[in-house]
Amino acid sequence: MDARPLNVDANSPNDPVFIGVGELPSGRYPERNFIGDLTHVGLRALADARMVPRDVDTILLIPCLHSAVDQADMIFSRMAEELGLIGHLKSSFMVHSGGSTSDNAVRVASGLIASGHARTVLVLHCERWGSADLAEMVTMLSKNGIPNEWEGPTGLQFNAIGALITRRYMHATQSSAEDMASFCVTLRKWAQLNPNAMYRGKPLTVEKVLASKLVAEPLHALECPMLADGAVAFVMTSAEHAKARGIDVTVRVAGSGGCVSHYSVGQEPDLAALGWATAAKRAYEQSGWGPQDAQIAQIYDTYAAVTTIAVEGLGFCAPGDGARWFASGVADPGGKLPCNTNGGMLSAGHTGVGGGTALLVEGVRQLLGRAEPERQVAGVRRCIVGGTGGSYMDAQVLLLERCATGRKS
Amino acid sequence: MTNLIRDEFRAGLARGDLLLQRCNDCGKLNMYPRHACPHCQSPSLGWQKSAGLGVLHSFTVLRAGAPEGFESDLPYALGVIKLEEGVQLLGRLLPDPDGDWHSYRCDDRMQFKAASPESAAHRPCAWFARLAV
Repeated sequence: MDARPLNVDANSPNDPVFIGVGELPSGRYPERNFIGDLTHVGLRALADARMVPRDVDTILLIPCLHSAVDQADMIFSRMAEELGLIGHLKSSFMVHSGGSTSDNAVRVASGLIASGHARTVLVLHCERWGSADLAEMVTMLSKNGIPNEWEGPTGLQFNAIGALITRRYMHATQSSAEDMASFCVTLRKWAQLNPNAMYRGKPLTVEKVLASKLVAEPLHALECPMLADGAVAFVMTSAEHAKARGIDVTVRVAGSGGCVSHYSVGQEPDLAALGWATAAKRAYEQSGWGPQDAQIAQIYDTYAAVTTIAVEGLGFCAPGDGARWFASGVADPGGKLPCNTNGGMLSAGHTGVGGGTALLVEGVRQLLGRAEPERQVAGVRRCIVGGTGGSYMDAQVLLLERCATGRKS
Repeated sequence: MTNLIRDEFRAGLARGDLLLQRCNDCGKLNMYPRHACPHCQSPSLGWQKSAGLGVLHSFTVLRAGAPEGFESDLPYALGVIKLEEGVQLLGRLLPDPDGDWHSYRCDDRMQFKAASPESAAHRPCAWFARLAV
């Protein structure tokens, strides 16, 4: 499948751009309220974009997984009422592909804006995993992304899926347990710089990771993500509209690529490769970018191997060197290619479908130059965002770049 | 919900057979079984018995966090088997004589093991073990 360039470029008036982001801290916050968090995070993103709710004509919802009832509230336009947009809002609907939803939400919002079906889109997410009943969530996660006829009877669950990928990856690349654990330590270093991260103030070492109990061999407990409450939001509009509102710094989408490589983990032809190389090739072909063109990357990271496989497919390092690449410190604070600068899902907290959204929002925040000073990477102009969902069924790549008044800065 | 394809596959397991779906038109094998052939879209699909031999692509031993109904199975091992017929599936792995799975390695040669009808009814999945060398 050939990748054609996008129909818009940095000089197109209808070029879709990010203009604001919002986030609430991730972790365990039983005192917070689902609809309240959605409201507050939306208002934060709008304030960041110097907008009010009535500037929005379309709301896209990124699903929560803690409750079907709360998810139904999102689907059936509750936020239109909560934000005072009854009769004003054109459309409100959910986009859902599990962990890769954020990438697909950007594609949907971009398409709506570029084609004229929407002018300004508010994308909202909130998850209450940290405060939900853990046993209930484990059961739910043992059914999502797993074919009930064929794999359900084996007793497969989410950590086991991560473990199957990790085992094959370690075998294929001869990566050591220390190499894999060092990825978690890199993320924890970033989390120390993020006030929204669940594990800020809780440093981690390779020894501590490997001393934690084995839960799904070869994965230790501290190599598995912790379910968290959290909320993120972002605002996209057209370059022309951003300019008309006097917004001089935006982030545009230079291209995207994707590859759905399986549905069932048992049907993935190569658990040490997944769809990353194909997705990256499609994204690079569409944009003219290569792996050397970005200064930072934000890549889905429920388990180390998911991300080490991704950086190999994206061409950040030689095939087979992903875990050792992270272990070298290149993606750490101060490294040559900082990755997952919010601490990622493993250290900022796994907020369900929103974990990937938080990484996306962090990429946009860095490009807008609005991260806290100790975390802001200097001179960031381009960011590679990677997402994946379900049983790592797909690999999704978004290429984002900073623009000033509709032109590349 | 009626699911004839699932029921026929499980009836095979209960008889001690690992069945692979075979397209009656293009002759290709489909795993997991489909409702139309993904290669030629034919709705005419049948079954063939697998020789049960393959290679272990990956595996894990789950020691905590079993799904509801699997708590008493812990610990248990899951593996992705690439069969010699060219299709693959997720199955359960039989333990070593000491009750653990320490002998298993990626790329080990594997063999399907028929389960008892009671086991096949309780856990309708394919069981595999390392091929004795």
